[in-house]
Amino acid sequence: MAVQNGKFLQLPQGTEGIHLEEALRHRRLTRKLNDLFTSWGFLPVKTPVFDFYDNYRDLLKTPGEENLYRLMDREGDLLLLRSDVTLFLARQMGLYLNRNDLPARVSYADTILRHQNREDISKNEFFQTGVELIGVEGYEGDMEILLLLDQTLSLLDVSAFLHLGSRNLFRQMVPEDRETPALREALASRNRRALKEELTLYHPPHTARLFSSLLLFIGSPGEFRQKLTGDELKNHPELVAAGSYLLKLTEGLQTLGGEREIRIDLSEIGSQPYHTGIVFQVYCEGVDSAVVSGGRYDRLLENFGLSAPSVGFSLLLRKIEALLPPPAEAEESLNRVTVEENEFNETEETRFTLRFRRAEELRKKGRNVSL
Amino acid sequence: MKNSTQEPLTLALPKGRLTDQVQELFASLGLGFEFENRKLVARDRENRLKIFLVKNSDLPTYVNHGIAGMGVCGDDVLFEAGTPFCRLKTFSFGGTRMCIAGKKGDRFAPADPALTVATKFTEFTRSYFHKRGLPVEVIKLNGSVELAPVLGLSRYIVDLVETGNTLKANNLEVFDKLADIKVHLIANPAYYKIHYKRINQLVDILSKGDPDE
Repeated sequence: MAVQNGKFLQLPQGTEGIHLEEALRHRRLTRKLNDLFTSWGFLPVKTPVFDFYDNYRDLLKTPGEENLYRLMDREGDLLLLRSDVTLFLARQMGLYLNRNDLPARVSYADTILRHQNREDISKNEFFQTGVELIGVEGYEGDMEILLLLDQTLSLLDVSAFLHLGSRNLFRQMVPEDRETPALREALASRNRRALKEELTLYHPPHTARLFSSLLLFIGSPGEFRQKLTGDELKNHPELVAAGSYLLKLTEGLQTLGGEREIRIDLSEIGSQPYHTGIVFQVYCEGVDSAVVSGGRYDRLLENFGLSAPSVGFSLLLRKIEALLPPPAEAEESLNRVTVEENEFNETEETRFTLRFRRAEELRKKGRNVSL
Repeated sequence: MKNSTQEPLTLALPKGRLTDQVQELFASLGLGFEFENRKLVARDRENRLKIFLVKNSDLPTYVNHGIAGMGVCGDDVLFEAGTPFCRLKTFSFGGTRMCIAGKKGDRFAPADPALTVATKFTEFTRSYFHKRGLPVEVIKLNGSVELAPVLGLSRYIVDLVETGNTLKANNLEVFDKLADIKVHLIANPAYYKIHYKRINQLVDILSKGDPDE
């Protein structure tokens, strides 16, 4: 084999290869998740690898925009490589669904391509799997997705914490035209002083103080209930109503779901401008970033010609895979059929035939065997 | 449900004087720790914290990858790293100034069409001037930045200035302060979310010994 050097020794930034046992684990896990999603009535969709950039231009005004890969086709049209399945899926659904098809339940498992800093591989992620429920609004849709998420996490068997927030609650404290990059930065970095300063630009100081403490709130549903029923929110019934909705969801999850630790986290406001209702992320012990992002985006599909509410989640599976042991099949596949001592003198063809038949017998019994 | 809340919280500290100041503060709050025999890992006496001693400029890398969940770091290093972190507390100690300096008797001319600045802090410098609409040529140096104007590499330098004695000794002077640099307790955002209760308790304890301004 020719010795490779220089840049040919590595892949370009923004993609990866998965090999052997690792690929087997990935495939098994993807299949298990697909089976779960199918059992809930979610049918698979495949999104295109690239699409016309102009279809998404207005929806891409986010901090990660510089990491998108764009290319030009032979006609000179600008194309966008799939960097986020949700967006590409929304356009596909907008194109192919009409109101009579709703509700629609879809699942996906696709690679994504976006630039990653060469010196910061910590957030590398090239694969998304997830679900979208289109056409079911409010409690019904939110609960279905949260319960499916709960079962997904149970299937993966990892220590996971669900952080549930609300874009509605956030919007009542921060109007759309006041949601500046500085405010998002202050909230993301949990910089209380900077957050208060931002809020003071359009709220009286005591309200800015209250809202900054609320936006930084993380706690159990019980702690959140205390907050909602306390004196400080008695003049903000709209916040109490939006907060009570989150509590209603957590009660439903505790009754119908597994024993998962749920945290109300009002600093979760969704990373995308299209989020509208609930927003959530899941964090796992041992993983340096969120492994699940999801929420409601009731107006996203409007951009693609279908006025329908939508809620879903996306799982960054490769981060979770790193926590899991290799599948039993990987070890089993190391099993090989060997030539018995009394077969050494047989011809090459006979030895092969004997090994082949022996392997077939074992495979019929469900074993993984290589020749 | 798996639970690992008994594991100590992990904290990276930068080698040098800042660690001495942190060590002093922690000791005064019952969180004392010692690095024994040139070891780079220590634990506090009650095993609440596992502490790593790392090079200042590498600290954001360790926290970004979640190897250390938290770190103590200055704005200068955070700016160069460009990675988003939670900033949980600003310490009263370790603060300094980022300044533009040059030869004594010279002056800072922002409109200089060939504005050339030598610095260790290339991201900060580029961003500072670009935000003000000033094109700037930035020359990256890793140390002894004061030599650049003396030897004619650049007219200006951007560097951290505490007492100004090194500048004075090299016949340089500060033309302008560009930013106050403060020292923060930072955390990997996902690590913070998982361990928020214990981290908030730690921040409360630290704030008792070193109240926020």
